[in-house]
Amino acid sequence: MRDTSRPVPFLASARAVFGLSLEGMLWSRRSLVLGAFLAIPVLIAIVYRLVLVARMPAEITGLHLYGYLVALFWVRNALPLAALFYATALIADEVEGRTLTYLITRPVRRSAILAGKFAAYLVTTLCLALPAAVVTFFVLATSRGVSVAASVPDLFRDLGVLALTLLVYGALFALMGVLMKRPLLPGLLFLFVWEMAANLPGYVPRFTITAWLRSLVTHRPAGRGVSELFGQVLPADLGLAVLTALTALFLWLAIWIFSSREYVLDQ
Amino acid sequence: MKRSRLVVIAALSVVGLGLALALGALVLDPARAAVGPLPAEGLVLPADTRFVMGLDVRRFVQSPFYAKFASQGGRPQAFAELEQKTGFNPERDVDQVLIAGRPDKGREGGVVIVRGRFDRYKLSQAIESAGKRVTTKKHEGNPLYLFNEGLKGASAVAFLGHDDDLLVMGSQAAVEAAVTSHFQGGTPLKQNTALVSLLERVKPGSTFWMVGDQSLLAQMPTTMPAPGGGSGGGQIQLPALKALMVTGELDPVVSVDVTGDATDAAAATQLADIVRGFIALATLQAAQKPELKTLQNAVSVTTEQSSVRLSARVPYEVLEALQPKKSAGVTPAPAPAR
Repeated sequence: MRDTSRPVPFLASARAVFGLSLEGMLWSRRSLVLGAFLAIPVLIAIVYRLVLVARMPAEITGLHLYGYLVALFWVRNALPLAALFYATALIADEVEGRTLTYLITRPVRRSAILAGKFAAYLVTTLCLALPAAVVTFFVLATSRGVSVAASVPDLFRDLGVLALTLLVYGALFALMGVLMKRPLLPGLLFLFVWEMAANLPGYVPRFTITAWLRSLVTHRPAGRGVSELFGQVLPADLGLAVLTALTALFLWLAIWIFSSREYVLDQ
Repeated sequence: MKRSRLVVIAALSVVGLGLALALGALVLDPARAAVGPLPAEGLVLPADTRFVMGLDVRRFVQSPFYAKFASQGGRPQAFAELEQKTGFNPERDVDQVLIAGRPDKGREGGVVIVRGRFDRYKLSQAIESAGKRVTTKKHEGNPLYLFNEGLKGASAVAFLGHDDDLLVMGSQAAVEAAVTSHFQGGTPLKQNTALVSLLERVKPGSTFWMVGDQSLLAQMPTTMPAPGGGSGGGQIQLPALKALMVTGELDPVVSVDVTGDATDAAAATQLADIVRGFIALATLQAAQKPELKTLQNAVSVTTEQSSVRLSARVPYEVLEALQPKKSAGVTPAPAPAR
């Protein structure tokens, strides 16, 4: 018989929250829309192979296009947006739907609630993003002028970077979600204003997340103008350490704030 | 089963299958390398090698570059004669060529390994009947064909192994060392940790590639005139490079990646700026040569810590436009009437 004076163990409660959240997250209209959005590169790849390959400049091979899609579409834009829409809603949806009370009055640690929801977010977004990346790779890497075997290490690395992108942005936006009532707009401002600092000279890019992420991918789409002039490649090993530390910090802060904050729901 | 679990299983299946296919392609690739792009037989190269070059002959011959070269009458007549004598056609029967050497030793330090399909008997006959200065000796039970034995610049040829697919050529000492390493299972090149670390940075699968240390660039100038310097003006000190890596493809465009390791990040930045300056100067000529404008978009220079990387993607049309036009033939003056 369980000691009811103590909360349910962390892992058990996180697992329960994970299962419940995953069902709600993965099989939803939001997932359908974001899944279609993240799969746009698959469509681009198919169109390239069937139609565009004869019309595009010859210097853009299938692998170049794949590199552009990874660096510019997924890492820079699509995955951060997916993280924004999912991670900010982890707690904000419960607050808005006024179901948070029912959740936090259960004998379940708040840290377990957030951990379970975050894990569900991660699984959801990985299930949407990684298959699209793999399919896009094979559609483009089997095109003329590309060696599949030589490109395979890029695929492994890229999948790792895509997962890290979802992890670090998810942690950040989960933190914003527990801090703010309406985190969507500040999140968009962060993505499309602050993160642009990655193209500035000097040490400024080190204060953005995207500069560290793009230093981990081997694809370097040739920039034009300012971005080419000041395009920096930061040390990859340092980038990995910084991103891991940022993820841990954001998650810890999110859990700490959620655990200690009093939520007063609007009547 | 819950719908979410179905979706997760489906996603995992796609990713798992993709990764399995990718691993399979990597493992089963016929040109799979031992170190970077270097195939296993390349490990018999001498430990004091300073540069290594590789050429995927099959891809080279199938490229538009070679098609243009052959169509312009560039195909050596010797190929036809060789095929007639030995049944060996380099364009058809050679898969890969490795060239290694030491710039300071010239031809003495050079060795070439060729992988392909050879008719050992016919080739041996052709070599033995090549001239009076061809001698044969056994080395590790393997016949070694020597040219000008005992004289300066003596060279040798040997089949590397019992299969008729590997040929090694070069100085007698280098060929003997390669044959010895091959039959004794030695891998002397692995002792050259600097070169091996350079090779590991080169992506395998390129049509041609080259790595070398600073001895490769020993003949290059270390200074260049500063702009506006005049005859007695200043000089710009070119940053020294510690190592150089080149990879290239010829299909569908000519693409070359050159990576140079400078001494530090500041030197790399300086070198990158110098190269960008050259590109900018070239594009200023675009008024006279519009095709140079395309070149500006085709070349990019980036730095990564202490490395400088120059990437060029040049379509064949641009290369043809950049070639000097042949001047029109001058009609000879008519001979005076008698």
